[in-house]
Amino acid sequence: MNNRIGLTIILALILIISIVISVSFGSAEISIQDIVLVLQEGLFSDGANLPEAMLPIHDIVWLLRMPRILLAACIGAGLSVCGVIMQAIVKNPLADPYILGVSSGASLGATAAILLGVGAAMGENFVGIAAFSGAFGVSLAVMFIANIGGRANSVKLLLAGMALSAVCSAFASFIVYFANNMEGMQSITYWLMGSMAGASWDLLQIMVPLTVIAVLFFCTQHRILNLMLLGDETAVTLGRDLHWYRQGYLLVSSVVVGFAVYAAGMIGFVGLIVPHVVRMLTGTDHKHLVAVSALSGSIFLVWADVLCRVILPRTELPIGILISLIGAPCFVYLMVKRTYGFGGN
Amino acid sequence: MEILAKAVRMAFGSKEILKDMDFTLRDKEFVGIIGPNGSGKSTFLKCVYRVQKPTGGEILFDGKRLDELSYRESALKLAVVAQHNTYSFDFSVLEVVLMGRSPHKKMLERDNQEDYQIARRALDVVGLAAFEKRSFATLSGGEQQRVILARALTQQTECLVLDEPTNHLDIKYQLQIMDIVKSLGLTVVAAVHDLNIATMYCDRLVALKDGQVVGVGTPRQLLTEQFIYDMYGVRSKVRCEADGRMNIMYLPGL
Repeated sequence: MNNRIGLTIILALILIISIVISVSFGSAEISIQDIVLVLQEGLFSDGANLPEAMLPIHDIVWLLRMPRILLAACIGAGLSVCGVIMQAIVKNPLADPYILGVSSGASLGATAAILLGVGAAMGENFVGIAAFSGAFGVSLAVMFIANIGGRANSVKLLLAGMALSAVCSAFASFIVYFANNMEGMQSITYWLMGSMAGASWDLLQIMVPLTVIAVLFFCTQHRILNLMLLGDETAVTLGRDLHWYRQGYLLVSSVVVGFAVYAAGMIGFVGLIVPHVVRMLTGTDHKHLVAVSALSGSIFLVWADVLCRVILPRTELPIGILISLIGAPCFVYLMVKRTYGFGGN
Repeated sequence: MEILAKAVRMAFGSKEILKDMDFTLRDKEFVGIIGPNGSGKSTFLKCVYRVQKPTGGEILFDGKRLDELSYRESALKLAVVAQHNTYSFDFSVLEVVLMGRSPHKKMLERDNQEDYQIARRALDVVGLAAFEKRSFATLSGGEQQRVILARALTQQTECLVLDEPTNHLDIKYQLQIMDIVKSLGLTVVAAVHDLNIATMYCDRLVALKDGQVVGVGTPRQLLTEQFIYDMYGVRSKVRCEADGRMNIMYLPGL
């Protein structure tokens, strides 16, 4: 048990070090000393004491790279934890944060925004806002539908999610087909590949507290999450009625996933693979799974974003593509190795 | 602990599973519920352990109506070993057993030394002390059911419900699990398929057919050849051995 607490601390240290080191990667070369200096200034005196010559470096480090790295860390943590939660809620190891129709809802929102200009009055990131509304709206609708005619259970949630997914995809395709707008279609495709490029300190003022609160909240829920995997009947005999917990967790994770979509588009695979890799290290018990998944997901996404920035000269690879490229083979490797059964056995 | 059921009804749509069922379980008693498939044994027990809600009548734990107790309160009084437990995720044996402490815990309370001790003692009782680090999914059916029994013991309740826990186990494990339960001196109500096992362990039997109680009594009073024929439509030979044990032999095809 103690070495699992040790693991958490080590991962937290790795995350902090990763964040500092990853700032040095990019098209402009910046030394670690300069970075540390800028970060110190940025954290403690808002960059006022920097010499003139350091200002461009300050801008690159503090205004461009740092927000995007922190955003990657937040989204990695949020998606990984929501993956853990969704897998518990629907009692299925194949679930990911987007499983209950969230992805189709988000892309419908984005499609409507880009092609029809829905919500254009809402400011610069209106596509993100529309995607958030789509994702969150679909989550609510799935919960509502699954509760019609008796309480929601895992199967009803999954089926409602699938049905609504199909509806949203159909509407999105309908819009794409009749809009007949090549440029718009291209921007939808780009948008759906996900990117950290929209990061800013303003955005982080929402993302950081939201992620931290959500992760801490789910860390305290380990007992209920464990019971969810045993099923409703066993949980009742062990003194808990899971129904309201399930609704509550769904709500919290749809907010987290919705904001992740708002900030960075769709980033697949993180929420599926990180929980599985972490289970290999810590076991299924949620007492450690939640915190370790959050940290691992953060570290993973920070480095994935670094790779996106450096792998191609003078251009950036969409992070969604990169993660699928890394994630899918890893997943297959886990599957083939067979020491880990994905719970299936 | 005492359980009292008064006129419990259970219906799914127009199909009545339980028709005004009365039932009493006295303190420290081992009661078996017998009856053919579909007679309502499991449904009744599910009403008792609150996985299903009866459509009529009431169930009382120590004189308190069940729907006035929180799930946590009832889980402190009664633990369950049910028919089948497959989990699609891989917990270690100790983790599964420790979950028996859930009803004793507040939301943010962590498992302390005492909880681990209770869980390990329960594993010891079921003879699986060496298994605590093993993965639950890799155990055999008999071992898994003993782990679930250990989890029920970790709840430290006075009363234990066995909902056909030995159904798919071979005879060795059936006897082993019943022996362990019997040796604990708890108040037990068990749905039992095997009449010979029922006669060996139960103080009293309640026979159910089509959702109604058709007989109550000690195994010796109740299980006559005629009664078994009326219940199951099977001819049998009931013998009393020299050591006082009953032996029911089925005679198929007659």
